[in-house]
Amino acid sequence: MNKINHQQTANNVETQSVERMKAKDPPTPSKKPKSPKPQNAVTIAVSSRALFNMEFEQQIFEQKGMEEYLKYQLDHETEPFAPGPAFPFIKALESVNEQLRNLYPDSEELFDVVLMTNNHAHAGIRLINSINHHNLFVERFCMTGGNSPIGYLKAYHTNLYLSADSSKVREAIEEGIAAATMFSAEKVTQVSETQLRVAFDGDAVLFSDESERIYKTQGLEKFFEHEKTYENKPLDHGPLKGFLEALGKLQRKFYAKGHRIDCPIRTYLVTARSAASSGSRALKTLRAWGLETDEALFLAGAPKGPMLAKIKPHIFFDDQMFHIEGAAELGTVAAHVPYGIAQKMPPKKTKDI
Amino acid sequence: QSDCTLVTAVSCHDIFDLQTGQSDSSPLAKGTAFAFIKAVQSVNERLVKLSEKQTLLFEVILLGKDCEEQAKSKIFDSAKYYLEIGKFCFCSKEKFERTLQENHVKLFLSSDRDDVHVPAALLCQQADQQVQNQLKVLFSGDLIGLTEDSTEYLKDLGFNDVQIHNFKAAKGRIQEFAMLIGEMRRRFGCEDSPLHTILMTVWGSRDICATALKTLRAWGLDVDEAFCLAGAPCTPILTVLQPHILWDDGLHN
Repeated sequence: MNKINHQQTANNVETQSVERMKAKDPPTPSKKPKSPKPQNAVTIAVSSRALFNMEFEQQIFEQKGMEEYLKYQLDHETEPFAPGPAFPFIKALESVNEQLRNLYPDSEELFDVVLMTNNHAHAGIRLINSINHHNLFVERFCMTGGNSPIGYLKAYHTNLYLSADSSKVREAIEEGIAAATMFSAEKVTQVSETQLRVAFDGDAVLFSDESERIYKTQGLEKFFEHEKTYENKPLDHGPLKGFLEALGKLQRKFYAKGHRIDCPIRTYLVTARSAASSGSRALKTLRAWGLETDEALFLAGAPKGPMLAKIKPHIFFDDQMFHIEGAAELGTVAAHVPYGIAQKMPPKKTKDI
Repeated sequence: QSDCTLVTAVSCHDIFDLQTGQSDSSPLAKGTAFAFIKAVQSVNERLVKLSEKQTLLFEVILLGKDCEEQAKSKIFDSAKYYLEIGKFCFCSKEKFERTLQENHVKLFLSSDRDDVHVPAALLCQQADQQVQNQLKVLFSGDLIGLTEDSTEYLKDLGFNDVQIHNFKAAKGRIQEFAMLIGEMRRRFGCEDSPLHTILMTVWGSRDICATALKTLRAWGLDVDEAFCLAGAPCTPILTVLQPHILWDDGLHN
């Protein structure tokens, strides 16, 4: 944590740099808090279509092309967009930040949201108007005018990238950045405004797809055998392990101030592994990594939708579209992680891992 | 040379590497400005393709400040190997300002932050000398989004009244150049343009950025890309962007 030595700063009258700002009194309530340095924060990059509902505009782009699309955006510049699939998640991040700032006023270990969009800057004013309208704390954005976001994602030390464009998400994952594809949904359950809830699938999300490969290529029996044999060997990491780790770091800050039971961040493992057998390796792997989830739900192949509907997470990550669709049907915001063997093989009709 | 010509002056120190020792016969090595001039050429080519009687074009003048006679002839000879430069102007340091004005220079580019009274911008070193297929011009949102009400945050950052006054003046000076760039940019479609414009706001809020976007639009320039950094370091972003021209009047030093 950065402790500011007011006495020392007062002596350096000649220095004319950004450091001067820290010497001032803490900002008055009406002033917006300063954005944290990217390397200190947990940075979430979100695309415009994930944050806002731009389905109508997207249709115009697909059917009539770029010029028409931009003209439409310009003509409707003062009309704010409605919330998109990532919106409740982003709002919950802000709530966690408020609570973190109350406990640690000088810390930069906070969530930071960057709008990372392929959009032309022509649509920029409408996006800024929408951010203002919804009172979101998004201060940073990159409107890349068609260029790839990958370089910028890295420049911002992005911990998680959410986009409606699966090809960009795939590109990000290939570059080692945690990412997931978001979909607009018909029905979305009301979620908590004060407690951030994030649910993860295990294989090919937190863990690598090594065990899933065995299931898909050699069948369920072989999978059970393999997991039993290697029960004490930690699985390799998957694309979202780092994000769980980042969440855990923030959780521990709340624990340190006595907020264990009512922690504003809650994590869930929702896996098709079974508690009686294959689940053990999953838990042992997390333990070996020094990580944990608040709850671990072993469904032994049962559909994930109903369980998620009970949990009401702000976001659920899974590598298989079958589970994403099942979750969305019952109102959960589910994001697809396009990683591993499941992307190349069609889903089996029997129980899926 | 009409009113529409975007006269840009570049120092010969930036076009050629005048430092390293050269054998008499070989042409001078390329400098920082080389990639810029190549990119400008492709913009001009595309503009002429659209309309043969095009008057809105870039014109690049090569300036030599206090050059020795030997260097002058070397420069002449080398230029023909690499580029088509409109004009060569050799002058003394004292007459430099006057030379810029006499030649109706709308923008002076330098890899050094020179102190001149015509609009000046930073010529950026490209990561590799490979020529990009787009001329990239970057404007500072902190400067363009500057209004009477928004000077608070610059004061918070430690800039004094004199500096802020200078920034306001700089904003006024860049308008003509921005309007011409805007007109040029409009000649091309959204995609496949040889000219690419970028707005980068380093410290200002998203509202400062919105003001900058609206100001540029009022000047006839709709930028392609926009970045709002809210105090994040700009070097990593600039490394990805690789602009040729960076106009921030020294604000982001």
